[in-house]
Amino acid sequence: MADEDETKEYRWESGYEKTWEAIKEDDDGLLESNVADLVARAKRKRAALKDTGAIQLGMMRHLFVVVDASACMFLQDLKPTRFLCVLKLLEVFVHEFFDLNPISQLGILTTKMKRSEQITVLAGNQKKHIEALQQLKDLSCEGEPSLQNSLERAMNGLKNMPAYSSREILVLFGSLTTCDPGDIQKTIKSLKDNNIRVSIIGLAAEVRICQEIAKKTGGTYNVLIDDHHLKELILNQVQPPAVAGSMEASLVKMGFPGGSPIVNDGTSDSSADHAPAYCLCHIESETSSLMGPNGYNCPQCGSRYCELPVECKQCGLTLVSAPHLARSYHHLFPIKPFIERAQVRETTHCFACAKLFVEAETNVIIIVNFRLCLFYHSLPFLFLLKVYECENCNQIVCLDCDLFIRETLHTCPGCASDPVTAQMKTN
Amino acid sequence: MLELKRALDAKGHCLLEMPSGTGKTTTLLSLIVAYMKAHPLDLTKLVYCSRTVPEIEKVMEELRKLMNYYEKEMGMEQNILGLALSSRKNLCINPSVSKEREGKVVDGRCYSLTASFVRARHAADDAVPICEFYEGFDAHGKEFPLPPGVYNLDDLKEYGQMKRWCPYFLARHTITHANIVVYSYHYLLDPKIAEVVSKEISKTSVVVFDEAHNIDNVCIDSMSVKITKRLLDKCSNSITILETTISNMKENDSKRLEKEYKRLVEGLRDATIARETDMALVNPVLPSEILEEAVPGTIRTAEHFVAFLKRVVEYIKTRLRVQHVVQESPAGFLRDIHTKVCIDRKPLRFSAERLASLIRTLEISDLTDFSPLVTVSHFATLVSTYTKGFTIIIEPFEDRAPTVSNPILYFSCLDSSIAIKPVFNRFQTVVITSGTLSPLDMYPKILDFHPVIMTSFTMTLARPCILPMIVSKGNDQVAMSSRYETREDTAVIRNYGNLLVEVAAAVPDGIVCFFTSYLYLETIVSSWYDQGIIDQLQRHKLLFIETQDAAETSLALINYIKACDNGRGAVLLSVARGKVSEGIDFDHHLGRAVLMFGIPYVYTQSRILRARLEYLRDQFQIKENDFLTFDAMRHAAQCLGRCMRGKTDYGIMILADKRFSRADKRSKLPKWIQEHLKDTNCNLSTEECVQICKRWLRQMAQPFSREDQLGISLLTLEQLQSEEMQKKIQQRAQGV
Repeated sequence: MADEDETKEYRWESGYEKTWEAIKEDDDGLLESNVADLVARAKRKRAALKDTGAIQLGMMRHLFVVVDASACMFLQDLKPTRFLCVLKLLEVFVHEFFDLNPISQLGILTTKMKRSEQITVLAGNQKKHIEALQQLKDLSCEGEPSLQNSLERAMNGLKNMPAYSSREILVLFGSLTTCDPGDIQKTIKSLKDNNIRVSIIGLAAEVRICQEIAKKTGGTYNVLIDDHHLKELILNQVQPPAVAGSMEASLVKMGFPGGSPIVNDGTSDSSADHAPAYCLCHIESETSSLMGPNGYNCPQCGSRYCELPVECKQCGLTLVSAPHLARSYHHLFPIKPFIERAQVRETTHCFACAKLFVEAETNVIIIVNFRLCLFYHSLPFLFLLKVYECENCNQIVCLDCDLFIRETLHTCPGCASDPVTAQMKTN
Repeated sequence: MLELKRALDAKGHCLLEMPSGTGKTTTLLSLIVAYMKAHPLDLTKLVYCSRTVPEIEKVMEELRKLMNYYEKEMGMEQNILGLALSSRKNLCINPSVSKEREGKVVDGRCYSLTASFVRARHAADDAVPICEFYEGFDAHGKEFPLPPGVYNLDDLKEYGQMKRWCPYFLARHTITHANIVVYSYHYLLDPKIAEVVSKEISKTSVVVFDEAHNIDNVCIDSMSVKITKRLLDKCSNSITILETTISNMKENDSKRLEKEYKRLVEGLRDATIARETDMALVNPVLPSEILEEAVPGTIRTAEHFVAFLKRVVEYIKTRLRVQHVVQESPAGFLRDIHTKVCIDRKPLRFSAERLASLIRTLEISDLTDFSPLVTVSHFATLVSTYTKGFTIIIEPFEDRAPTVSNPILYFSCLDSSIAIKPVFNRFQTVVITSGTLSPLDMYPKILDFHPVIMTSFTMTLARPCILPMIVSKGNDQVAMSSRYETREDTAVIRNYGNLLVEVAAAVPDGIVCFFTSYLYLETIVSSWYDQGIIDQLQRHKLLFIETQDAAETSLALINYIKACDNGRGAVLLSVARGKVSEGIDFDHHLGRAVLMFGIPYVYTQSRILRARLEYLRDQFQIKENDFLTFDAMRHAAQCLGRCMRGKTDYGIMILADKRFSRADKRSKLPKWIQEHLKDTNCNLSTEECVQICKRWLRQMAQPFSREDQLGISLLTLEQLQSEEMQKKIQQRAQGV
């Protein structure tokens, strides 16, 4: 008896988690492998979809992240708890988000006890958001979430954003229920009318209403399998979405504050530019020691900021620096998708990573392809390697490099190293 | 399809089990239609019997798709007429009649507007109301058959509106030459209705019973009569009405009564001749031999017959006055009635026919009042016709409330083969199919027929979309079971509660729970309330309960669906033999999980059931226990099947009873469930079960598209034709 009690006490540490792993190995049902297969294929589908090119992307994004903080977020199926895990991943997300979408804005909401609370307002300052996220860690999760309340709240925040920006909501939803004050269908309808895209990531299981919201507003709905999958799902949201239909293109007024403060080029207001002043980012905090000559001045009203990008507090101008815009640029001109083809005999090495094809791909590709072959019954031979060829420079890379190039690099190493094509591109 | 073709070729009967959502209906329809086209002489008609009106509509929809496809492929109009038939209630377009809600009232009103004597009277006097739609149909509709096509109930109504014809009678009339007829079981099984509706269906037809897992009960119900005290009181009233009308008529128009008398003397011989020529369904209420005799003299005159009825009713009334339960055979009953009130068997036998004749003669237009009397006369006829396979049970009170006197006379059919026998004998092929027919060998036994083909199909699925589990113990290792001895055990009840709460916390949207009986449901819910389990449950989901009241239940259902749609999530507590378990589908998010608390055995103390068990044992050598288990498991399977309505759907099935894991129970589940029930999932505790659920749900939530199914559960034409696939199909066909 005593033994039993002891083992019971520490169930969360071992116990059923392990039996699960054992079942995962079990191969009498096609279950695990099948699903893993589906996930792998979905990944590639997504990649392919992204590369269709020639679609208008919403580069200037306004995104509200809604974090479920209801009682179920204390469950420990994600380590250490769902809530902490999600917050941790959100930090990464915020960082990545501003890295890839420097001229976008983000806000954070939580929902618990049937209410919705605003943690940060829409703003372009990632530090603030990350700070807020870190403070959230001490928040207690209780009660039930309310999808409707949080969506309404986010909608109110997004409604007045300019029409050329994309309006999005990302919900991280752990609960399986939502406790709403009214008819959520109306909320969905007005979300749709306002062109707001709602993407939802479920932490437990497929909930019908989430599916419906995502479908109707043109967002995505995913449910995680484990924490790695969750990370992938969250980071997928970093890429700007294709514009849904009728977003008008218009000119946006932006300020490019003067760069390095050291050089005095003799212009009349340069002395004012570099006079020691409080920066507006820190003026409210009591320990505002950041009084110095460094910083960026708004070209319109002259307020100082220590960091870019930011929206000027005085005159509302978006302040960015040129590299920020350049970083967003690749969204507009993504590299063309590489062509998938069977391995050509002559090339044995990946152009990018210089590994032998077989070596590089044994683990993943052979297995995947083996299954694919079984799947379609029609492919004539089993060990068929897939390699990827760039349309422009005809260099051949492996799958890993292909994904890396497309997701991180955004330039083809073949084209970039070839002087002729590189020249063409700059022209 | 292969199996079905074999059955058609052999002109025999077959029994097919196919999981729902795998295209059962389409397969049946397309093969039979193709067969009809290829062998127009061997097979002239398809009669498709389904259970409820929505199901009938679904079949019609499938048929329409099939016809459209034919049209597209063949490039011409198809000369096939498909037709759905339902009761007047669903088809009437007369504005005043169709307002009525109750089926019986609609029938009565319709009769009062369309009976031949009413119309004759109308011809004489315009003030007598008639139904213009029926008149329209009668005047023109009979000559012009319905153009080929597929008509569901609404189409018929529309067509009727357009032509000003009565859709009900139009459909009835069209049945004779339609190629495909879709209607409810009762039109074929219930002798009272079959007589009227299905008389003229030719022998070379195929009859399909869909959702036929409890066809034996339908058969039994259609032959059984239940008489209560209130019913008898009403009978007395209607007898008085009859008396007054007769005396009135005698004064005014004695000729007509005389005419009737003469006709009865001549006997019903003409009817017999007519019957033989068109190979009509032999009506079991009125076996053909008695048709040749004349109605016996004692009840030929109207007054005598009414007096006779009065005696019968009085006699039954005295019988109901017993203080203890009486069970006797029809023969014993007949002897008793003979000695007590001097009524012979023969006049009893004719009472149904005689009553109908009398009502016709008296030109009583409102039939609704007479339905109790009709019931009694049916009883009289049945009891005197059949001496075997029936029993009479008189209970002075209900078991649940032994102090309240509520005497009921059950005249109960024990042999389900009686009602269905004429169907098997008459039609060349009868197909019985359902999602849950296991164990298959039981049906031929209880229905007493010899199928050529008997097969259970499984599903080919791209992903394991059902998760059956047997949960046998709670977290505290106390075994869970609804056994009689442990029913009241709080530990068991608490464990059931915990299971539900934990499952509710892990499963999204809708959860449906089935209990073994209303009584059990009530006791469990009340003790859950005391234990605080209800509160815990409501934190996760809203709670709805099925009650015996149909209106209340449907309200609960509507709100349940609403709660699921809104994302609040809901739990529906219902009963395994109730309305919810039959015919209501919980597809997709409406039923992500089904919990079966206990094995749904029938109430074994019921005397009717006992009598039936005894009969089955004596006649068909079926052990009592076998039948009980069979019955329980088919209901359990039926409940479980509620959540799975197609290949894209997925659902958890939890069987919460220790006894389910025994081999005799497990092996009786349908093959498509058994296939997914792994040994590792057969003896779980609550928390193990919840862990498995969570993981499985996450896997199921991964995007699942059409392409993923291709090649496994969905084949393109090329794939189908590829050699490899052909081989596989061959293998499968041999395997089953």
